[in-house]
Amino acid sequence: MMFTDVVFYVLAAILLLSGLRVITTRNPVHAALFLVLAFFTAAGIWLLLQAEFLAIALILVYVGAVMVLFLFVVMMLDINIDKLREGFWEYLPMAGTIGLLMIVEMGMVLAEKNLRPSQAVTLPPNYSNTAELGKVLYTDYLLPFELASVVLLVAMIAAIVLTLRDRKDSKSMNPADQVKVKRNDRLRIISMPAEVEPEHVAPEEEK
Amino acid sequence: MLENYFPILMFILVGLGVGLGPLVLGKIVSPHRPDAEKNSPYECGFEAFEDARMKFDVRYYLVAILFILFDLEIAFLFPWAVVIQEIGAAGFWAMMVFLFVLVVGFIFEWMKGALEWD
Repeated sequence: MMFTDVVFYVLAAILLLSGLRVITTRNPVHAALFLVLAFFTAAGIWLLLQAEFLAIALILVYVGAVMVLFLFVVMMLDINIDKLREGFWEYLPMAGTIGLLMIVEMGMVLAEKNLRPSQAVTLPPNYSNTAELGKVLYTDYLLPFELASVVLLVAMIAAIVLTLRDRKDSKSMNPADQVKVKRNDRLRIISMPAEVEPEHVAPEEEK
Repeated sequence: MLENYFPILMFILVGLGVGLGPLVLGKIVSPHRPDAEKNSPYECGFEAFEDARMKFDVRYYLVAILFILFDLEIAFLFPWAVVIQEIGAAGFWAMMVFLFVLVVGFIFEWMKGALEWD
């Protein structure tokens, strides 16, 4: 057994265990952290397959950003764990059917691959996955690449429009606004007739 | 190619060892004599009135999603930087257009004050 095989089996074992913990652990925050561990080990397995870019993207994007978002969302939702568990047996038949279907589908995909094994491609020694990707991404797939930037822009604007709102209880000041204030913004001079005191004030309690 | 990543594997293993070693040592070496008082959350004072886990402000979400978007931008920059010599000027300007569109979004979020935290 080669060294890489040992590494693969260790990583695969950790991946399966952490994947199992994602769905069995009670606390959603722990589940998210186990998902991070699963992503890490999956990145390691991809590295073993020489898919450098995928591994780096997985760690950079999924572990670095997506899981942070997951954690924020989980913490924002204020999940009551006991309530979440209530309908377990009610939903089991439906969820079990869907899970079974997915297992069958995955089995068919894997069987297709394994019954007719393709010849392993021997790669040249200086082969770089990332470079191959880059060569086609910025030339042949130029339009999808530029469209990706528009999708990112739309996502950015949508996130800002949906979640950004002025807080009423905020006491922060904008110094520029404070400096720009004119006298007329703060002070209003009204011309009004002078008040004349009544000539005769009835003396109080004169009896 | 994989040999280049061997130091990273070593790094992970050593990091795990440094992290787990003290915990395991503490578990083995330290005396363990629990009683009811020691196991109670507080030795004195009140029990907690309510759950300590409060809801997060939605603005954390906004910051996180803006971070993801620019993180994805970096994921696109990686292969570009690797092959910049081979794809020539066309590839260079393709990335400049890509970056320009995202800079428009960046200016928008700056002007909107989405990066402010007051």
